Amino acid sequence: MQLLSSILYDTIYHSAPIILCVIGGVFAFKANVLNIALEGMMGIGAFFSVYVTFITGNLLLGFIAGVIVALLFGVMFSLFGVTFKGNVIVVGLALNLLATAIASFILVQMGKSNLTLSHFSVADLQIHIPYIESIPLLGSLLSGHPFLTYVAFIGVWLTWMLMYRTKFGTYVRVVGENEDAAKSLGLKTDLYKWCAVLIGALCCGLAGVNLSTERLGLYTNGMTAARGFIAIAAIYCGRGDPFISSIYAVLFGLARSLAINLAVFAGPAAGLFDVIPYIVMVVALFVASVSQRRHVKVRGFANG
Amino acid sequence: MESNNLKKAVLNSALPVLFALIIGAIIIAYIGEDPLATYALLFEKSLLTPKGFMNTLHYAMPLVLTGLAIAVTFKANIYNMAVEGSCVLGGFFAGIVGASLSARMDALSMQAICLFTGILFGVLFALLPAVLKAVFHVDEMVVTLMLNYALQKILEYLATGVFRDTASGYVCTPTIHANAMFNRMGNFRITPFVFIALAAFIIIYLVMKHSKLGYEITAMGKSATFSEAMGMRTTRKIIILMIISGALSGLAGAGWMMSEKFKYTLDFSGNPGLGWDGMLVSLLGGHSPMGILVAAILYAALKTGADSINIYSAVPKEIVSVIQGLIILFLAIKFVDERFGVSGKISEAIYTYKARHKQTTSDQTSIQEEA
Repeated sequence: MQLLSSILYDTIYHSAPIILCVIGGVFAFKANVLNIALEGMMGIGAFFSVYVTFITGNLLLGFIAGVIVALLFGVMFSLFGVTFKGNVIVVGLALNLLATAIASFILVQMGKSNLTLSHFSVADLQIHIPYIESIPLLGSLLSGHPFLTYVAFIGVWLTWMLMYRTKFGTYVRVVGENEDAAKSLGLKTDLYKWCAVLIGALCCGLAGVNLSTERLGLYTNGMTAARGFIAIAAIYCGRGDPFISSIYAVLFGLARSLAINLAVFAGPAAGLFDVIPYIVMVVALFVASVSQRRHVKVRGFANG
Repeated sequence: MESNNLKKAVLNSALPVLFALIIGAIIIAYIGEDPLATYALLFEKSLLTPKGFMNTLHYAMPLVLTGLAIAVTFKANIYNMAVEGSCVLGGFFAGIVGASLSARMDALSMQAICLFTGILFGVLFALLPAVLKAVFHVDEMVVTLMLNYALQKILEYLATGVFRDTASGYVCTPTIHANAMFNRMGNFRITPFVFIALAAFIIIYLVMKHSKLGYEITAMGKSATFSEAMGMRTTRKIIILMIISGALSGLAGAGWMMSEKFKYTLDFSGNPGLGWDGMLVSLLGGHSPMGILVAAILYAALKTGADSINIYSAVPKEIVSVIQGLIILFLAIKFVDERFGVSGKISEAIYTYKARHKQTTSDQTSIQEEA
């Protein structure tokens, strides 16, 4: 029972940043801009939120700084990838490299190998919901998580509303499906692409804040550990639908949670549990691709 | 005209480097150091002295190989990120074999076996995403990225558990036998592996410039759907290209193991890793073999130079990573032009340029009309 409840808690815990990345990434995916800089935006958000909190001692400033710097990365991405029509994959790679490079440059300049926030405890940031907290399994599922974790799960629904129930969402999807048609209707396609990327950057910034400041109160290099890319894989599997993509994100969270919780019983082979999430994603992509292409009768390359 | 094209390509690669260096200089000036002195340090010790240049050449060789491994797939629009994984896996097993063979075996056959093992495992690692991509149309970029991370964890497990050298104080595999090592030439770091790498370079150069496969790579890069409609077997080509890419990466890893590292440690491939560096090198060189060779040497110079910056100045060597990131960022814009510029038929290039020019002007007028 104890084990089950901690598995549930960890599933939510590890799903949250990935879900935030997913709901950020789906807009860019739907607007046909492959944003592989999710990882870098999350990383730089994670770093600057801890950095500013560390310097100023103000948690709120740290939150804002993390999001703003991630947005700046989004602006850079849109500027180079959308306005200047550069290769978005290369721009994404560059931003991912830059995020780590900038963070480690500043860390070395400060003479530290990682940043730890010591003046507050992350336990204070967890929101405990009265009554629900004391229900056995439901309690660990719903209560005791930091603020942005709740934002992530509510955000899935918000994203769905924004994408399928508003004019803006429809326009973004039109731009992605057929840019020429969108142009002929007089839509400013670049503007919608910019918005899609910036929403992604905003959410990735939140994911970064959640990952570093809110959950652990520290930053180390490489702490994003490919979560941005896992989010991309989840988006691919879910074909950009916020709900389905988020389910894949939770799948990863579950795999990671199992890896951590079962490691106690596994002993020296514990490290291998970490492999499971990545393999699960590859299998999920494979299954999604096979099932989607089964009815495709058109001869062709990878244009499905 | 041909030279004009070349000039354009060179300019396209040189300008991003220049811009990145300028921004880097601003950052260096901001932290209160002298940018020019730092850059002088960066290039003087790595390119202008014979010893430094030989060392740079030594570090450039794996990058040439991984750069070519990226180029053969990227040029065909296959975004293969498995290069890093293939390289590390090849290096790992080359190291294991090099340590477990009988020490009495002669150097030549031992080295051959190790290199072959590296190539074999490099190919094996690239094969899974290749089949998934070619047969099942699974996006290769995400799959290869995921497999890289999975592999990293598996190798970490193998290095700390099964194959750990218990005599050593830190996590690593046993050192390979002396016969499996490539020895240094003179008092330079450079080893005979440089000739093997250059041989591989020449083969790939010939394949890409003067063979049917090379032409098919370019065709697939321009339009895979069209290539298939014209009767090219794209499924088979994808697998072949991935195998070549895996073999080159495996060779790079094995060579790195046998000429520099001699045992697998957790930071075997460095940061950000030989495969990722290879990607930058390939982009910098515009996916052409000659460009890759030049870019790899420049890049290795940055890396060896970074160490002398660290030793002789107060600037953190991470500045070099920042500059590298900026170079790629600026390369992205030029990249589109590069693809048009590289095309062999000049008339075609001019035609597409004109068409594009027309399109952009019509875009502008349509935007003006909207406004």
